[in-house]
Amino acid sequence: MQYRLDLVLHPAEGALLRVIGMAERRGFSPQAVHGAADATDQGRWHLQLVVDGDRPPETLCRQIEKIYDCVSVKVTALQGVAA
Amino acid sequence: MNIPAQRSAPPNGARWLTQALEAEGVQTLFGYPGGTIMPFYDALVDSRLKHVLVRHEQGAALAANGFARASGQVGVCIATSGPGASNLVTGIADAMLDSVPMVCITGQVATPLLGTDAFQELDVFGLTLPIVKHSWLVRSVDDLPRVVAEAFRVAREGRPGPVLIDLPKDVQVADASHLPTHVPAAVQAPPAPQQQAIAEAIAALAAAEKPVIYAGGGIALGDAVQELRSFAEASGIPAVLTLRGLGALPAGHPQSLGMLGMHGTRAANMATQEADLLLVLGARFDDRATGKLAEFAPFARVVHIDADAYEISKLRSADVAVPGNVAQAIAALHAAFPAPLATHAAWRTRCAQNREKFAPRYDAPGRHIYAPALLKRLSELAPADAVIACDVGQHQMWVAQHCRFNHPRNHLTSGALGTMGFGLPAAMGAQFACPDRTVVLVSGDGSFMMNVQELTTIARCRLPVKIVLLDNSSLGMVRQWQELFFAERYSEIDLSDNPDFVALAKVFGIAATRIDARDDVEGGLAALLAEPGPALLHVAIDARANVWPLVPPNTANSTMLESNPAHARQEAPNAIPA
Repeated sequence: MQYRLDLVLHPAEGALLRVIGMAERRGFSPQAVHGAADATDQGRWHLQLVVDGDRPPETLCRQIEKIYDCVSVKVTALQGVAA
Repeated sequence: MNIPAQRSAPPNGARWLTQALEAEGVQTLFGYPGGTIMPFYDALVDSRLKHVLVRHEQGAALAANGFARASGQVGVCIATSGPGASNLVTGIADAMLDSVPMVCITGQVATPLLGTDAFQELDVFGLTLPIVKHSWLVRSVDDLPRVVAEAFRVAREGRPGPVLIDLPKDVQVADASHLPTHVPAAVQAPPAPQQQAIAEAIAALAAAEKPVIYAGGGIALGDAVQELRSFAEASGIPAVLTLRGLGALPAGHPQSLGMLGMHGTRAANMATQEADLLLVLGARFDDRATGKLAEFAPFARVVHIDADAYEISKLRSADVAVPGNVAQAIAALHAAFPAPLATHAAWRTRCAQNREKFAPRYDAPGRHIYAPALLKRLSELAPADAVIACDVGQHQMWVAQHCRFNHPRNHLTSGALGTMGFGLPAAMGAQFACPDRTVVLVSGDGSFMMNVQELTTIARCRLPVKIVLLDNSSLGMVRQWQELFFAERYSEIDLSDNPDFVALAKVFGIAATRIDARDDVEGGLAALLAEPGPALLHVAIDARANVWPLVPPNTANSTMLESNPAHARQEAPNAIPA
């Protein structure tokens, strides 16, 4: 099952690595990453991370919320099943 | 001879950091100097901080870890870049998995050299990303006040854990005269549990006929020991404890059924398998506690109370989720159940009977020293507030089963990571945290050799750590699994060429004695505990001894073995009766 994570991150060293690493360690494989720093939001990164996994996405969300540099995360289920 | 006056360190980043550590309440830190951390060590000369020079950086990380476990305060360790930093990794990971607050400081090559493969450059920031609550590579001295305040706050707040500050050498020597005096950041308590969730928990408990408290390491972390005891005694609800929950109810407490899980008690595993309600308090359904998860507590609804909301429904779906302050949640339950419910009476009786019926026996046949009996006697002879640290393996489970803990912080055990070599440095750290209390290390001959170099730190600091070294001349837990689950095909478990441990201890200047007969146990333990300084008791035990009972891996906790089924003459594997 694929999910899109809508993330807002502080633009800090390692923030992106932490989020992607957390998703992978908790059983979700990254499929796509989009986004950029948003000058209108204090330079925070607004990212969309598409992941694929069989585990409950809510638990991944709660774990990502614990990442120091994570301002917010929202999960949306997408169509399709991973290969 | 005239001794030249010592030059004071300049007001640079390193000196500012030592003063900030003092402001955070740090008195003792554990470390090992080297090239890129030398400015910090220079600043230490003028500092009130007590630095403990270990003999391997892993010893520093695990000593800080033991210090934090025993005291509840933040443990601090420090190392240079490169191998110094990478040697900290196991101790940091151990702290992450067991929720131990630590601030780990590493030297780093100067910022212009970052990314150039400079001498002793290592990306410790990247290396430790999965094993820290957070980390910082400090690229400017101006960032130090914010980073240090946040580091200590994050380490302490919520579910505690380790943080890392990677500190390039040029930042350490940069002018810090303009930086403000350090002010520690306020630490927020976990949020109060929601009233609606508490009401649902109360309703679930009131409706249950066979409730069980399942309490874990979150009790000590949430300072909820007293609340748990008061609630358990008022409500009369039987309790099982995880490895890291041991002591949350004092040993021998009539409602404590002991540890659950792979090497838990039969009474605890029977209670969880029969329960119709699990009241999970600061525990996380670890696989060593649950056995085969799909068959764990098959009849129970789950009320899960935890400061870390992520743990709720991670492995077992909660019927009632209560994220937030564990102590407050338990106090609210206590208010609702000031006396035992009549509807729980039959269940209380059954659990109490099982507790008596399946109590461990210490009259083992044979002539070898019986480790469980020795450990039971050790904790009877030691002061009630003694700290007992252990390593990892068979002796670790025997300590959990047979030593009597009156508080979880008196039991230092590497629970989640299972770090062999944990014990000696952890005991060392605990003795610094608790200088007036007895600190005992129970180790095995395998684990002990993994950080044996710290004997010299103990000797130099004259730390009166008492070491009980259980020696079966093998890697006992691995041997046990090979015996039971690998058709007795023994592979690389023979340690019969161990050094003479008494001679070894004496080389380090530590008093040592060996015993190998049951009649020597009482005198050996008494003499060990009476030693004013550090001492080691080398105990030879049966190389074939196993830890019982045992739930085989990936089976339900209802399947407990009391002996090797292939060898049992009279007893078949003892399944819990339905």
